Amino acid sequence: MLFPKRKVDLVRPLLPPREWERIEAYAVSDAGFGTDPFGTDPDALGLSYAVGYWLHRHYFRVVSVGHEHMPKTGGAVLVGNHSGVLPFDAVMLAVDLFRYTDPPRLLRFMVDYFVYQVPFLGVLFRSLGQMPGTRRNFDGLVEEGHVVGIFPEGATALGKPAEKRYELYPFSHGHVELAARHRAPVVPFGLVGAEEQMTMLTDLRPLARALRLPYFPVTTTFPWFGPLGLLPKPVRYFIHYGEPIHIDPDALHSVDVRAHEVERVRDAVADLIHVGLETRREYEGPKGGT
Amino acid sequence: MTMRSEKIPTLKAAALVNPAETPTPGTLREGPRRVFIAGARRRVAVQLIERMLAAPEVDFVLGVDRGPCPPALLGCDPERFLFASADLSRRRQVDNLFLLDRLRERPLDTVVHLAFQGNPRGYGIDSHEFNVNSARHLLDASLRHGISKYIFLSSDAAYKIGARTDYKVREDGDLNLDHDVHPILRDTIDAEFMCRAKMDRPDCEVMVLRPSGVFGGGVLSGVNLLFESTPPVLPVGFDPMINPTSKERLARDLILAIFLHGKGVYNVAGRTAGPLSKFLEERGITPIRVPGPALGLVNRMQRVLGMTRYHAGFHPKRLYYSLVLDDTRFDKIFRTNADKVPAIARMPDAE
Repeated sequence: MLFPKRKVDLVRPLLPPREWERIEAYAVSDAGFGTDPFGTDPDALGLSYAVGYWLHRHYFRVVSVGHEHMPKTGGAVLVGNHSGVLPFDAVMLAVDLFRYTDPPRLLRFMVDYFVYQVPFLGVLFRSLGQMPGTRRNFDGLVEEGHVVGIFPEGATALGKPAEKRYELYPFSHGHVELAARHRAPVVPFGLVGAEEQMTMLTDLRPLARALRLPYFPVTTTFPWFGPLGLLPKPVRYFIHYGEPIHIDPDALHSVDVRAHEVERVRDAVADLIHVGLETRREYEGPKGGT
Repeated sequence: MTMRSEKIPTLKAAALVNPAETPTPGTLREGPRRVFIAGARRRVAVQLIERMLAAPEVDFVLGVDRGPCPPALLGCDPERFLFASADLSRRRQVDNLFLLDRLRERPLDTVVHLAFQGNPRGYGIDSHEFNVNSARHLLDASLRHGISKYIFLSSDAAYKIGARTDYKVREDGDLNLDHDVHPILRDTIDAEFMCRAKMDRPDCEVMVLRPSGVFGGGVLSGVNLLFESTPPVLPVGFDPMINPTSKERLARDLILAIFLHGKGVYNVAGRTAGPLSKFLEERGITPIRVPGPALGLVNRMQRVLGMTRYHAGFHPKRLYYSLVLDDTRFDKIFRTNADKVPAIARMPDAE
C-alpha cells in the first residue's frame, strides 16, 4: 500500500473540511480492493488532492475560467498546451477541474510510457487514475464516462526552450480520431504561466536517451542547485476552458478531414492561450510581475 | 482489359464453416459428456474431475497422465472414471487411449488438454519435446477420432507485458513473441497456434483458455508459488494490478467450456482486480522488497535455500507491470449461460 491512512491524515490540515467531504464523496467503482479497474486508489487521491489543492490555491494561485464548458457527466476529452519542464500544469489542471466541477470530475491523463518504468512514479500515477497512453486505455476510460486529458504536443513539449514560449508544437492526430470514434466532445484549454515556472537552457539528449527520458533539462536552476533546482517558480497560472468541439465523424474515414479537425482544435487552443496572455496582462496591471 | 468476375476463395467461401450448421455459442451441447482429461495429476484437473463425477450428466471421464493416479481420485466410481498412465508425447500411446475397449460403443466427445508442463524448474529438452509433441498428437488424435470439443488450457504468460500494457488485456492483446522469452512461453504460444490453425474445423470446436494466475494449495502457477514463498520478494517501487483466479473458479469455467458450445480464444480470470500488495495484505503475507536489479539474485538464493519455488526469470516483467485479463467475452458467452448447465447449478459454490 503506497499511502497508509495515517499519511492521509497528516495532510488533512491542507484541505478545508468541505473539500474533504467532496473527496470522500467521490465514488470510485470498486474492482475488489477499494481501487477501480484502472487502479485508482481513493487514499492516494485524497493525499494528492490535499497537496495539489494547496499548490493550486497558495503556490500557483490559479485563475481559471470556463468550467461550465465541461460536461457534467459522460466521456470527454480535454486537450491543450503542455509546458514547464516538469508537468505541474497537468497537476494544476486536474486539481482545478476537481475543485470547480460539481459533481467533481477526475481528470485522467494519457501519460507517456516512460513514467511507468520509473519505480514509485508509475504506481503513484496509476493510483491517481492516470493511465499509459494506449488506445484501449482511452477507450476504457471514455466508455466508463471519464474525462481524459491529452497533450497532443507530446511530452517533448515540456522541454520547450525559452525562445519558443507559447508556440504550439504540431498536434498528434490520435485525440481527434479517438474522440470521433466515441463521439466524445473535445474541450480545448489554454494554460498560461507554466512556461515561466522554469527556464529551459538546453536538453542533454544523450543523457536523456541513456536514462530513457523524453528530455533531460538544463535550466537556470537545475542541476546547479541539485533536486531543489527542480522546484518551479511560484508563477500564477491562468487556465481558460473553451467551448466543446464536436469532431466530424468523417475524421475516421478521411485523413484530410482528420487533419482539418486537428487544426480546428489547435486553433482553439491557440486562441485560448492568447486570451490567457491578455488576461494575465490585465491581471498584472502596468507594473507586471506574478 | 476485363476484370475477372470470379471471387477469390476465402475460408468461408470454401465451406469449411457453414454458418447454418454452426451451433450458437453459449447453448448447451446435447447428450451426456464423455471427457478425456490430459494432465489428470494437476490440482486443477483433480478439482475438475471431482466436480464432473458429481454430475450425472457426465457419463465417463478418462484421466491421463504420467505416473500413478492421484490419491484424491482413487476412490472414484470405476464405472465412470478410469485413470490411465501414458506418455502423451508418443503418438501411438495417445492413439491407443482413444481406442480403449470401453470407448468402442460410446466414444469420447471432449478432450481437455491440461498436461502442458509449465514449471520452469528443470525445463529442458525433454519437457520441451513433451509439450510440443503432446499438444500436436492430442489435437491430431482428437480430430481423427471424432472429438467434438477440444480445450487447451494455456496461460496469461502468453501476453506481452510492459509499460504499454492496457489496463485490461483482451484476447487480441499482443503476444510475447520476443526472441529471448523463456522456452515454456514459446512452447505455450506454439501450442496455441496449433489450436488456432484448427479453429475453423466444422466438426470440432477448438478452444483455448488463457487463465490469469491461479490460487490454490499446491497449484504450480506463478502467482501461487510467489504467495507460497517465505517470504515473497518483490521489486521496490512497483505494485502491479492483477486479477488472479482460484482453482475452484477455473474448474467451474472449464466445466462451462465443456458443456456449452463455443470456440476460439478466451481469457478467464478472477472476479476481483487489485494491486498485488493488496492481495498479499488480504492473506496476511508481508513481502520483502529489494531493488529491481537484485531481484533475480535474491530469487535464485531463495530457491537454493528452499524458501520459494517461484521463478522470477520465467516472466521477468510480471512483478513490475500490471496484467489484468479482460474476460468479458467468456463471461458473455459462458458464465451468463451457466444456468443451462445442471452440473454447475448443483455445485455448492455456484455463483
